[in-house]
Amino acid sequence: MKINTWFGVLETGKAGEILESRLISKDVRELVLYSLSLRDNKSNLPPEGFDPKAAALKCGFVETSAEYYSLLHEVTLEAAKLQVSGALTPDQRIIQAVEALDDVNETTNSLSERLSEWYGGYFPESGLGGEDLALFIAKYGSRENLGPQDPLYPKARNSMGAKLEPADEVLLKGFAESICSLYEQRRQIEIYIEDSMELVAPNLKLVAGPMLGARLISLAGSLEKLAEFPSSTIQVIGASKALFKHLRARAPSPKHGIIYSHPLINTAPWWVRGKIARAVASKLSLAARIDFYSGKKDPSLTEKLETKVLQIRTLNPRPPQKKQVSGAKPKKKRRK
Amino acid sequence: MAEVKKLSGGIFEIIKGKKQLATKNLDPGKTVYGEKLIQVEGIEYRTWDPRRSKLGAMVLKKFNIPLKEDSKVLYLGAASGTTVSHVSDIVSEGAVYAVEFSPRSMRDLIGLASRRKNVHPILADAGKPDSYSHLIEPVDLIFQDVAQPNQAEIAARNTIRFLKKDGYLLLSIKARSIDTVANPKEVFKEEVRKLEKAFEPGFEILNAKDLMPYHEDHLGVLAKLK
Repeated sequence: MKINTWFGVLETGKAGEILESRLISKDVRELVLYSLSLRDNKSNLPPEGFDPKAAALKCGFVETSAEYYSLLHEVTLEAAKLQVSGALTPDQRIIQAVEALDDVNETTNSLSERLSEWYGGYFPESGLGGEDLALFIAKYGSRENLGPQDPLYPKARNSMGAKLEPADEVLLKGFAESICSLYEQRRQIEIYIEDSMELVAPNLKLVAGPMLGARLISLAGSLEKLAEFPSSTIQVIGASKALFKHLRARAPSPKHGIIYSHPLINTAPWWVRGKIARAVASKLSLAARIDFYSGKKDPSLTEKLETKVLQIRTLNPRPPQKKQVSGAKPKKKRRK
Repeated sequence: MAEVKKLSGGIFEIIKGKKQLATKNLDPGKTVYGEKLIQVEGIEYRTWDPRRSKLGAMVLKKFNIPLKEDSKVLYLGAASGTTVSHVSDIVSEGAVYAVEFSPRSMRDLIGLASRRKNVHPILADAGKPDSYSHLIEPVDLIFQDVAQPNQAEIAARNTIRFLKKDGYLLLSIKARSIDTVANPKEVFKEEVRKLEKAFEPGFEILNAKDLMPYHEDHLGVLAKLK
């Protein structure tokens, strides 16, 4: 029988003796590529209990057991490196960008808060916050540097804030500049995500919008996984806490996970939100599948979704009447 | 002064104020995951945190760890190599075939393997042993820590292909990855039953204990072929 091993093909007899061998050269690169090519090869698999090391010694591929291991070590190591470098697909880059965006947002917000606390002591009347405040401080520093034509000038002149010492001013200005560059960074990442989504998942971008689409890919782990999810899973991605509460105890099932940020859902009245979330999720899963398996853009998806949502809303124009509970008290929900 | 007690082949207990599990460092001077290095009589030991390693917890739970200096080990679910590094310390003359499916974890594992000659990293799905059968020799021990719902099946498939007749299977079963809502005790019972009947002739369970207080809802299992 024929047996594939990482160092070549062996032809063995009935008792397991090696009749013939076609060996690969002892070049690591060649062995790596050959070994990787065997991953999906279902023919000539080694039989149960087959010992490739013994075979390698017998057929003369290696002289000693130590040589076998050292060569195997190099080959597996290089093969793994090659596979890892190939694993960074475009959707993985989007995931990194989404996570970076969340980190940048968190950092920016807490630094912004710190800046506003800090500068508040010197110019509490400014009424500025966030990026505007950071830009203001980076530009002017002390409120005394404002020109008379600036709209904030009267407020600055009558401010109850303390005088900003030069040393503090330098520090605050630098701090504000860093925050400004973080805001800039945020915009760049957002643009990057939008552009990459257009390339990687145009349909998902169309139906979900770039940020929601990217977040769905990020939570699913990859575009492939998202495409394999049933739409009911997509509907509740990001609501795992509520979902498991529902599965464990008698809590109500979640209507929507992060797809709640979809404008069709968060603008809908409460009594149709679950229905609309289901419709949106089904189109999202279609979009992800088209993106992963064919990649062609299909604008009819959004049209169909909008028709469906309109239909749901016209069929349910009013909130449902609460059912009168007759007789016994309603069961109390068990909480865990 | 620290005192060293040998627990079993390659596994030590260092008593230096408190008791600590340790292995001889095969890669002297280097730590892998922030563990401590302790020098005793010219030999460098790495402490082994049972809370970060199911195998470490099994040692403390008095499992018989069938590892020798020249053992060949198939390690399924190698992750970043925390435990793999200790197995590599123990089988200093043997080989560890470390199978891991996640490219992200593999990145760390490659870093480890490039410093340790007896670790052979394999990026593959442990549920598909055919995809790496061309690389692996018959092994003395299969250690499995994969946190997959079909872990019993994965163990069976790999055992049939790669375990020597007199070899052992060490398994860590995570109840929460099989059924998130069921009672862990029920899940364990069911999984052990599955293992015993996984294939012909099946496993003989030698030991099964939960890994509390080191790991919650985890069961350690030592088995061999019937």
